[in-house]
Amino acid sequence: MILDRKLLQEVLAAAMTTGADFAEVYAERTLNDSVHLLDGKIDQISSNVVSGVGIRAFKETRTVYASTSDLSREGLLRCARSVAAAMGEGNAQVSISLVERMFPNIHPVRIIPSSVESRIKSDLLRAGCTAAREYDPAISQVTGTLLGVDHTIQIANSEGLLTSDRHIRTRMAIQAIASEKGGNQSGFYGPGRGMGLEFFDMIDPAEIGRRAAAQAMVNLRADYCPAGKMTVAIENGFGGVIFHEACGHSLEATSVAIGNSEMAGKLGQQIANPKVTAIDDGTIPGAWGSVNIDDEGTPTQRNVLIENGVLKNYMIDRLGSRRMGMPMTGSARRQSYAYEPTSRMTNTFIDNGPDKNEDIIASIEYGLYAKSMGGGSVNPLTGDFNFSVSEGYIVRNGKICEPVRGASLIGKGAQILKDIDMVGQNLATGQGMCGSSSGSVPTDVGQPLIRVSSITVGGRN
Amino acid sequence: MNFEQMKEYLVAAAKVAGLTEYEIYATSNREMSTETLKGEISSFSSGESGGISFRCIVNGKMGYASSELLTREEMEALVDRAIDNAKNIENDDEVFIFPGSKHYEAVTAPACDLPEAGTLKNWALDLEKKTYAEHPSVSDGTQTGAIAFESNIMLCNSHGLELTNHVSASGAYVDAIVKEGDEAVSGFKIKSGRDATVFEALPGEAVEKARGKLGAVTVESGKYDCVISGEQMRTLLSAFSSMFSAKMVQHGMSLLKGKLGEKIASDVVTVTDDPRRPECDVQTSFDGEGVATYRKCVIEQGELRTYLYDLTTAKKDGVASTGNGQRGSYASSVSIAPYCFCLEAGDKTQDELFGEMGEGLYITELKGIHAGANAVTGDFSLESAGFRIRDGKIAEAVKTFTIAGNFLELLKNIDAIGDEIRFGFTGGFTSFASADVRVRGISVAGK
Repeated sequence: MILDRKLLQEVLAAAMTTGADFAEVYAERTLNDSVHLLDGKIDQISSNVVSGVGIRAFKETRTVYASTSDLSREGLLRCARSVAAAMGEGNAQVSISLVERMFPNIHPVRIIPSSVESRIKSDLLRAGCTAAREYDPAISQVTGTLLGVDHTIQIANSEGLLTSDRHIRTRMAIQAIASEKGGNQSGFYGPGRGMGLEFFDMIDPAEIGRRAAAQAMVNLRADYCPAGKMTVAIENGFGGVIFHEACGHSLEATSVAIGNSEMAGKLGQQIANPKVTAIDDGTIPGAWGSVNIDDEGTPTQRNVLIENGVLKNYMIDRLGSRRMGMPMTGSARRQSYAYEPTSRMTNTFIDNGPDKNEDIIASIEYGLYAKSMGGGSVNPLTGDFNFSVSEGYIVRNGKICEPVRGASLIGKGAQILKDIDMVGQNLATGQGMCGSSSGSVPTDVGQPLIRVSSITVGGRN
Repeated sequence: MNFEQMKEYLVAAAKVAGLTEYEIYATSNREMSTETLKGEISSFSSGESGGISFRCIVNGKMGYASSELLTREEMEALVDRAIDNAKNIENDDEVFIFPGSKHYEAVTAPACDLPEAGTLKNWALDLEKKTYAEHPSVSDGTQTGAIAFESNIMLCNSHGLELTNHVSASGAYVDAIVKEGDEAVSGFKIKSGRDATVFEALPGEAVEKARGKLGAVTVESGKYDCVISGEQMRTLLSAFSSMFSAKMVQHGMSLLKGKLGEKIASDVVTVTDDPRRPECDVQTSFDGEGVATYRKCVIEQGELRTYLYDLTTAKKDGVASTGNGQRGSYASSVSIAPYCFCLEAGDKTQDELFGEMGEGLYITELKGIHAGANAVTGDFSLESAGFRIRDGKIAEAVKTFTIAGNFLELLKNIDAIGDEIRFGFTGGFTSFASADVRVRGISVAGK
């Protein structure tokens, strides 16, 4: 436990003296350690401890939040009083009785990264980067990072909840650069899990390096992608970023609850092609976006967002629940104690569909096969979204042909959901960091191979 | 934060460990923000944070460790962790703990006291009221807000160098939602400033920006001459600024390798990096290694004049550090970044930029910069919105198209620059600014 139960009771009571109807304390201690490799040599090793508390109060749907890295009793009470002062006036005596509760840990960890010597982590990273370097003589530079996060949180609220959780995650990200005649091309692969270093029993670091290098080499041989509207097949794994941007953000209470989403008021409506079922599931054991409890202390769950094209649910945090009159879905997340939590995605994916993967490619007379995707962004109000293609190929007469580079895909979420007209059967996920008002949080995206009948491909003429 | 006490613990622990070259870097921050919804303050938040970093040279290698947990035990652990980290570093580049520059020039925008919480709330409420009053189409979901922060930075090292800096900034924003018929659009404007008069134009600008998007259509794919607004050009500059980092150049990750003294942009392009630009509220006279900062021309009339250096990369190239070895936060290691990186103004009014172009596009929004722009390859493909320019004048709104190209080609294809620089709001030492630029023949993907 980071903070004492009795002290927490006092802090919560102090935050509620001026009419708040709910108060919450979130305490955090996180050890971030990372090893970075450049030019075949370990270039940087860093270890940082994040330590602090965020105190929040609600009065109906008004919120006040204050955070501090001063964990002394005086520091905490000063922080709580500043919350009360910002909420209003008064001198109410509130009595809080906290009962401690432990939720099941569904993400067991065997090797906690921060407890392992840098030398061992350096060797893992070097294995990945060396494999990238050796992939082809044209690979001119490789950079890699091995990241370990050891995140302990404690949450107490005025409803009497007192709980804590410890979450470990591990990621190796490698960027390879291929050069020829003064031109550079890059490739990236960065898998991660809510696991310890046992993750590398599952995936060979050398494979991570080779995938990054292979992508850089494809791009080195590629011409610019043509521009215009096309049929596009988007591969599994990180390809799922299309759903994350085109629809996921628009289903977060953050925008839905105040009407700033094109998906507001559409529950029960057919918003997507019947082949589309989409799920946000924070309970997948060891997944990158999984957590036992969300950052308000609600256990995560499997939320079916869209079932056979019909909108079934949103992702709802505590404030969203108050605003919308709907139950919380275990979706509250924040980067750290310095951020007020809001509704966010965990592991979000389009489920397997009815189509055979080979039929999807065979169905395209002329179009783009987007094998790997980069990140993107969306305006939830209008649904206008974009994301970049990091490895793509032209499809002609049902066959995957020459590689093309430098493209992005853009569209409007509501329209794209209807235009996903084929859904394949090789569901896989990819890992990303998602940025929004409550900071940067790890999220999985995923899907099987899908076909979008028509989407604007931002290439060159 | 009891910095002096923590410093004593660190110095004592460093002595016990036999360290002779080390540095302590600490920041202590305070921030506040508030937001409105439907005529009320819907949220208020405040935060205090701060941490300490310790770095030291062991056998010629630099090790770092940092923490927000300010106790004696943790400070002692920090020294151990930094030593351990140094022992595992393999990079052979020479590293430095810096004795100090001869002279540190004072900043031009000293820190001010933060506004009171009540002042921030009043700014936000007043802006919301004025935003709704701008036009009947302004709808619920419209939010306004105000923010303020200050930071104290302390750097001291084993050479006896002691430097401190206090910075502060505040600002306000309007996110106007406009609904007409089935269409909903938004317009966001943010401005830094220290009193309400600075924000007076925000509601009008945000609503105008939103309303300008109503009825936007898609353009035909093809090549277009474009004027890119200063606001958007500065985001492009930010996406590609790492090209100018000597570290990226030295490691073959920048297209600017070997281009010093060469033309990399058209004659009208001048880019400066000025740590004391009066328009930027957050300034520093020393960088994250304690080196004095100064103004420099990075591109002068199209010619690449210098890369941005820290001590290590400067030594490698046999030059002096340009004072660009920054620390993004106490927890970050030194990395090369600009201060106010600015594509300087030219001599054209906006009317002249449009008028001489005749037909083309005026780009007022670029999205997904973090994904659609690659600083290693220079390539970009970005979701865009703006206006059609017909007969030299602003015509219909356009959206759902991309502009694509390569940043270095774009710099060469700039044929005119507007006479007004657009500065952005910034939360740190690095900010970007640009005037409007006119670029010939950009690839557009639309219909």
